[in-house]
Amino acid sequence: MDTKKTVKSRKAAKASKEVIELSDSEKSFYESSLNNKREVGDGAPAENELETKNTTKLKEDVDKPIQSLYIHFKIDLVFITLLLAALGTRLYNLHNPRYIVFDELHYGRYVTLYTKGVFFFDAHPPLGKQMLYFAGYLAGYDGNFTFDRIGSAYPESVPVKALRFVPAVSGSLLVAISYQLMLEISTYQSTAILAAVLVLFENSFLAQSRFMLLESIQILFGLWGILCVIKSTRKSGPGSIIWLCIGAFSLGCCFSVKYSGLYTYYLAIFLVGRQMWRRISNTESVLRLALSALWRLVVLVCIPLAVYISVFYAHLAMLPKAGPHDSAMTSAFQASLKGGLASITRGQPLHVSHGSQITLRHSHGRTCWLHSHAHVYPVRYTDGRGSSHQQQVTCYSFKDVNNWWIVKRPDQPSLAVSSPPDVIRHGEVVQLLHGITSRALNSHDVAAPVSPQSQEVSCYIDYNVSMTAQNIWRVEIVNRESEDATWDSIRSLVRLVHLDSGSALRFSGRQLPSWGFNQHEVVADKAVTHQDTIWNVEEHRYTKAEDRKERERELVSAEMIPTAATQLSFWDKFMELQYKMVTHAADAPQGHMFASEPVEWPLLVRSIAYWLSPNSNAQVHLIGNMITWYAGTLSVLLYGGLLGLYAIRQRRAYFDLTPRASQKFYDAGCVLFLGYWLHYLPYFFMDRTLFLHHYLPAYIFKILLLAFVIDHIYFTICVHESKRSFTNIFILCIAIWLAYVIITFQKFSVLSYGNTDLTETDLLNLRWKDTWDFILHKKK
Amino acid sequence: MAQTREKCSSSSKIWLITFGLICGATFLTRFYKVLEPDHVCWDETHFGKMASSYINRTFFFDVHPPLGKMLIALSGKLTGYDGTFHFEKPGSKFDGARYEGMRIFCTTLGALIIPLTFLTIWEMTKNLDSTVIGTLLLLCDIGFLTLNRYILLDPILLFFMSCTIYGVFKVRSLTDEGLPPFSSRMLAWQLYLGASLACTISVKFVGLFVVLFAGLRTIADLWNVLGDLTKPVSLTVKHLIGRTITLILWPILLYVFFFWIHLTVLSKSGNGDGFYSSGFQARLEGNSLNNASAPRVLAFEAAVTLKNHRTGGGYLHSHHHLYPAGAGAKQQQITTYTHKDENNKWIVKPYDREQVDGVVLVRSGDLVRLTHAATGRNLHSHRERAPMTSKFMQVTGYGEDGVGDANDVWKIIVSGGKDGDEIQTVRSKLVFIHYLQACALTTTGKQLPKWGFEQQEVACNPNLRDNNALWNVEDNIFDQLPKMSFEVYASSFLERFIESHAVMLHGNAGLKPKEGEVTSQPWQWPINYRGQFFSANSHRIYLLGNPVVWWGNLAFLAVFFLLFLVNCIREKRAQAFGKTVEGGENATLLNAAGWNFVGWALHYVPFWAMGRVLYFHHYFPALVFSSMLTGIITVYLLQSIKSFLSPELGRTVYQSAIGLVITTTVYSFYLFSPLAYGMSGPMSNEPNSTVTGLKWLDTWEF
Repeated sequence: MDTKKTVKSRKAAKASKEVIELSDSEKSFYESSLNNKREVGDGAPAENELETKNTTKLKEDVDKPIQSLYIHFKIDLVFITLLLAALGTRLYNLHNPRYIVFDELHYGRYVTLYTKGVFFFDAHPPLGKQMLYFAGYLAGYDGNFTFDRIGSAYPESVPVKALRFVPAVSGSLLVAISYQLMLEISTYQSTAILAAVLVLFENSFLAQSRFMLLESIQILFGLWGILCVIKSTRKSGPGSIIWLCIGAFSLGCCFSVKYSGLYTYYLAIFLVGRQMWRRISNTESVLRLALSALWRLVVLVCIPLAVYISVFYAHLAMLPKAGPHDSAMTSAFQASLKGGLASITRGQPLHVSHGSQITLRHSHGRTCWLHSHAHVYPVRYTDGRGSSHQQQVTCYSFKDVNNWWIVKRPDQPSLAVSSPPDVIRHGEVVQLLHGITSRALNSHDVAAPVSPQSQEVSCYIDYNVSMTAQNIWRVEIVNRESEDATWDSIRSLVRLVHLDSGSALRFSGRQLPSWGFNQHEVVADKAVTHQDTIWNVEEHRYTKAEDRKERERELVSAEMIPTAATQLSFWDKFMELQYKMVTHAADAPQGHMFASEPVEWPLLVRSIAYWLSPNSNAQVHLIGNMITWYAGTLSVLLYGGLLGLYAIRQRRAYFDLTPRASQKFYDAGCVLFLGYWLHYLPYFFMDRTLFLHHYLPAYIFKILLLAFVIDHIYFTICVHESKRSFTNIFILCIAIWLAYVIITFQKFSVLSYGNTDLTETDLLNLRWKDTWDFILHKKK
Repeated sequence: MAQTREKCSSSSKIWLITFGLICGATFLTRFYKVLEPDHVCWDETHFGKMASSYINRTFFFDVHPPLGKMLIALSGKLTGYDGTFHFEKPGSKFDGARYEGMRIFCTTLGALIIPLTFLTIWEMTKNLDSTVIGTLLLLCDIGFLTLNRYILLDPILLFFMSCTIYGVFKVRSLTDEGLPPFSSRMLAWQLYLGASLACTISVKFVGLFVVLFAGLRTIADLWNVLGDLTKPVSLTVKHLIGRTITLILWPILLYVFFFWIHLTVLSKSGNGDGFYSSGFQARLEGNSLNNASAPRVLAFEAAVTLKNHRTGGGYLHSHHHLYPAGAGAKQQQITTYTHKDENNKWIVKPYDREQVDGVVLVRSGDLVRLTHAATGRNLHSHRERAPMTSKFMQVTGYGEDGVGDANDVWKIIVSGGKDGDEIQTVRSKLVFIHYLQACALTTTGKQLPKWGFEQQEVACNPNLRDNNALWNVEDNIFDQLPKMSFEVYASSFLERFIESHAVMLHGNAGLKPKEGEVTSQPWQWPINYRGQFFSANSHRIYLLGNPVVWWGNLAFLAVFFLLFLVNCIREKRAQAFGKTVEGGENATLLNAAGWNFVGWALHYVPFWAMGRVLYFHHYFPALVFSSMLTGIITVYLLQSIKSFLSPELGRTVYQSAIGLVITTTVYSFYLFSPLAYGMSGPMSNEPNSTVTGLKWLDTWEF
C-alpha cells in the first residue's frame, strides 16, 4: 500500500527539511482517509476527484462536503497555489498581442468556418477546434474576420481573450495535474512540487498555452488520462472502474484533439496491460482474471472510440453548408451539403442513358474531371517519341465547359434521349463524345505522353491515315449490387474499359508539360483494378431533342428524378472523411524557415518565431527554458544509465534497491521514460515538415522524469549516507539550480508574452545559441 | 551402451542422407534451364552494366555498396566476359556475350542458401524433422528460386545473410557449451561471423537488419554468460572484448577494405563523375580535373567555375536565353548545369571598378561582382519571385558587358572561416550573400521546365541557414599566379570513402515514389499480393512466391504469436502456484522459433517506416526467417498433439502429418514451377493458356 512507508524512507524524510516531513505525513493521512472511504465503495471518491479536475473556478472548493473540508483544504493548498500561480502566468495580459500569432491563422480560420457552419476539410481531428469555437461562441464572435496572414491585427469584433482562454486554462491546469501525477509516482511530495514548478516556469509551455494552439489542450487531456489510468491500476473494485472510465474518456478527447495523442493512448494501454500481466502471477482464479482483463479492454477500446466518433458527429452536424474545401470530398459527400454541388445536382436525372450529358469526376488522390479541348498532342515529344497527333484528353482540376461528355450507344446515330430513356447498364458498351468538339473518346496502341508504359487516350480525329478509331468503352460499375445494375449519376463508381485493348481509363497522376497546359495526364492502363481507374458521373442532364417541350414534361414527371438532396448516412460520411484524412498528403511548406529535425529537439537547436510586432521589436518565440531543457536531456541519459546498471547488477544477484524503491523506480520508468520515447521516437520516421512544438508532448514526460530522477538520487543518498551534510549539499545544489531556472524563465518570458520592445543588445543577450534566429526590424 | 551408439550412428546416417538429398534437389532445381532466357532479365540491366564498368574500370554511381557488383564482375572476368556488352534494357539478347559465368556464379550462391539454411535450423533445434520442413519450404518456393537465378544482388545478399545466421547460432552453441572466449575455435567462428556480417552489409544496406539481429543475439549470449553466477564477471568482460574485436572492428575493417578495392578499381572517369565533388573527380583518370593545374588562391579578374556543394550539385551556369514571361523579370536565365561547358565560366570583379592593378587576392568578406564570361552579364538578384520556389528571390543575368546596377553586388564569405581569409581553389566552401537583399545564392535542385532546358533552378534564399548555398571554385584560370597541380586537392581515401556514403545516402533518399506511381506496399508482400515480371515476350518469367508456402508462413506467424503468448501466461501462472514448467525439446523449439520471429520482424517491420520506393523482392530476407519459423512450429505443434494421443496413434498421426506437409509443398512447387522456368503462349487470363488454373488471385499478372 502506498501509505505504508518503509522505515528507511521515513527516516530519510525526517532527515530532510521539516516541511517535507510535514507534508509527507499529511499526504499519507489524506491518502489513508481517501482509501478508507474507497473501501466502502459508494462511488464517492470519484466525485471528489472530479472536483479536483474542475478546479478552474475557486468557488467550487467551498461547496465540498463538510466532513472532509479540513483534509481537502490542506491538500488542495499546494494544488491551488500552483494552479493560481499557473493561471497568473498563463492568463496575464492574454489579449496582447492583438495580432494573429503563428498557427492562430489556421485555427482562427476553422473557428470562423464553424461559426458560419461551412464545411471544411482538415487532416487533424476536430475536438480542439470545436473547443476554441465554443469559447468564441460564448463570447459572441460573429465570424466576420478573415484570418488572412500572420501578423495582421485583430479588430475589436474578435474576442481574442475568449479564443485564447481555453488553451491558457489548459496550460494552467497542466501544472496542477503534473503535481497530482508526480504525487502518484515520486517518493516525496516535494518532488511533485518541484515537477509542477518546473512545468510552471517553462517558457515553451507558457508560449504554447497563450495562443489559439491545441498542444496544451492535447497534453492536458493526455496527462489527466494517464493519471486516471495510474490511479485505476492501483485500486480494485468500483474505484478502479470509475478511474479507468474517466481516463479512457480523457484519452479519447486527447487523440480527438490531435492524432499524436494516440501515443498517450498507447501508453495507457501498456500501463493497463502491465497491471494485468502482474496480476497473472497472483493466485487469483483464471475466470476472475479473464473477466477483469476483458472489462478493462472493453472500457479502453469503446469509450475512446465513442468519444472520437461523437466528436466527428458533432463536427459534421455543425458544418452543414458547402464551402471552398468541398472538392476534396466525393460527389456524394458534396451533394449532401447545403448549397454547392447539391444545388446543382438537385433535380438531375438519376440513370445515365443514351444521350446523357455528363461530367466524369476522378476522386482518388486528386480531384479532377475528364476534360478535352481543341488542341492536339505534339507530333514529337522532347524525348523523341512520336504521338498520334490526336486531340488531347486530360484531367482538369476545375469546373469547365469542356468537361462535358455525351454518352452514346455505338449503333444509334441520334443523340436525343428516347422515351423512356435508354438506360445504360453494367457491362454494356458506349462511346463518349466530347461535348464541345463532338469527337469521341479514343485509345490506341501509342505510348502516353508522360507515362509511356500506358496507352495514349485522345479524342479521335480522322486524318485518313491507317489509324482507325477505337472508341468503344465497356462500362463496369464497381459498386454494383446486381449484374444488371444501372449507371447512376453520383452514386455509381464506374470503370471505363477500352474494348480493343482491355485497358481501363485512368488518371496517371502526372502533369503534362506546357503543351498540355499543365493539366493532368489521362491514359489507358493495363492494371485495370487500380484505384485511379475509378470515375463517377457528377453533373448530369439529358440531351433535349427538337420536340423537347413534350419530352421535358415526361422527364420531369418521371419517378427517377430525385427531388431532395442526396442523403448520406453519418457512417458513410464518417468513413469517407477518415479515409480522406488518412490519404491526405500534407503539402506543408518544405524548408520552412523555422522547421527543425527531431535530432535537434533534445538540445533546443532551433526556436520558432511566432510573431513580430509591426512597429517595435517585441516578439513571440517558442523557446524552451534552457536550464530545464538540458537538465531534462541529462535526466533521460541518467535514467537510462541507471536502468542498465541496476539490470546488470541484479543479474549478478546484487540488489541495490529495496523492493519498494525498485518498484517505484520501474513504475516511474514505465510511465515517464517510456512515455517520453513513445512521444518522441515516431517523429524520426515521419516524412514531413516538423516543428519544435511537436516535441512538447514528449517534453512534459521528460520534465517529470527529471523530477523523478532528482527524487531517486536524493532517496539513494539518504539511504546510503548516514551524515546529513551530504544530503544538505544536494538540496542546496538543487535549490541553486532551481533559482537559476526561475531566473532564466523570467529572462526569456519577454519572448513568451511579446509585450516588451527589445533592443538589439537585449536580443543578443538572449541569443544563447548561434542557431537561434530572432528577428530585428531594419533600422530606418 | 552399444545400442545407443548404434542409434547414434544410424541417426547421423539418416542426417547425412537427408542433407545429401536436399543438396541434390537444390542442385537440380536451381541449375535446370539456368541459362534461359538468353536475354537480359529485369534488373540484370543495372547490375550487368555495373559489372561491365568494373571490368572497364570506368567510374559509376550506384546507391548500393560495392561488394555484390564486384563479385559479379570478378566472376564475369574469370569466365571470359570482356565488359563490352551494353545490357541496354530488359529483353535485349546477349548475342554471344559471355553472360553464362556471371549467371552461374549468382545461381551457385543462391543455391548454397538452401544447405546453409538446413545447417542453421539444425544448429538451432537439433531436430531433423523441423530442419527438413523448414528447408524444404525454402527449396520449394518459386519466388526464392526465381530471384536467385539471375545476375542480381539478391542471391549474393541472401547467401551472405544465410552465412551470418548460421554463424550467429554456431557462436551461440559454442558459448552455451562454455567454450573459453579466446579459444581458437571460438575466435575462428566469430571471425567467420564478422566476415559474413561485413559481406552482407557490403552488398546492400538492408544487410543492416541482419547486423542488428546478430547484435541482439550477441547481447543475449553475453547476458546468459553474465547470469551464470558460478562464473566470474571477468569471463563476461573477456567475451565482450572478444566480440567487440571480431564482430565490430573486424567487419568495419573489411567493409572499408571493400570500398578501398572499389575506389581503386574504378580509376577512370565515367558517367558518375558529376555526382561527386571536385576533389573526388581529380582522382579519376580522363576527368578534366585530373592532372590539371590551377592557382591555389582566387584573385580578382580570374575566370572561375563555381560548383554547388550539395550532393550531385552542378555548376553555376548562364546562357543567352531569358526567363519567359510569368517567371519574374524577363532577364537572362541563371541555372546550375551538371556538365562541363564554356557557359559555366564567371569572372570575379571588385564591386566598384572594372579592373584592378596587379594581383589582388579575393578575401572572405569582400564585395564582388560575378560577370558571366560568355555573355557579359552580371549575376544579379532582386525582389521578384524565383520561377519555381516562390519563397526565394529570382537570380538573373543583368547588365551589358559587365555594367549593371547595385543589385549585382555579392558578398563572398568562406563558410567556417573569418573575414580576410584567402579563398582557395576547390577547398574553400563559399557563400555568396546578396548585398542589398541579404539573401544567399543557392540552388533548389528543382528542374526548370523546357524553357530552362531542364537545368536546375538557381535562386536567392532569404534564409541564410541553407545547406545548399555552399559553392566552391573548381576551375580557376588566372595566369599571373603560380599554378599548382590538382593532385594537391584530390581527396584522400578516407574523404572519398565518406563522400561516397554521403552520395549514396542522398541517392537512396531521392528514390521517392512520384505522385500516382504504383509502388509495391509492405502489406502486400506477406500475402503474395502481386509479383514482378522478370522477363516478358515469349519466355515469360514472373517473380511470385509459391502461394502454398507463403500463406502457410503467414498463418504460422500468427500461430507462433498465439503459442508464445499462451506459453508465457502458462509459465507465469505456474510460477504463481509454485510449479515449475518442464523444459525439454519443446522449449528449445519455441526459443528457436522466437529468434526466427525476431529476425522476421527485423527484416520486415522497418519497411513500413520507409519513404523510399519499395519492391516486392525486399521481402525475401524476411521470408528465410519466416520459412524456418514455419518448419519449427509445425514440428512443435505436431509434437504437442502427439503427446496428447496414445504412443501408437501419436506416432502414426505425426508421421502422416509430416508426410502430408512435405508432399503438399513439393506438389505446389511442381504446380507453380512454370513461373520460374519460363512460360510461353497466351496470358493466364485467356482460357487456352498453360497456366490457366494457377491464377488464384486477380492481382497476379502472368
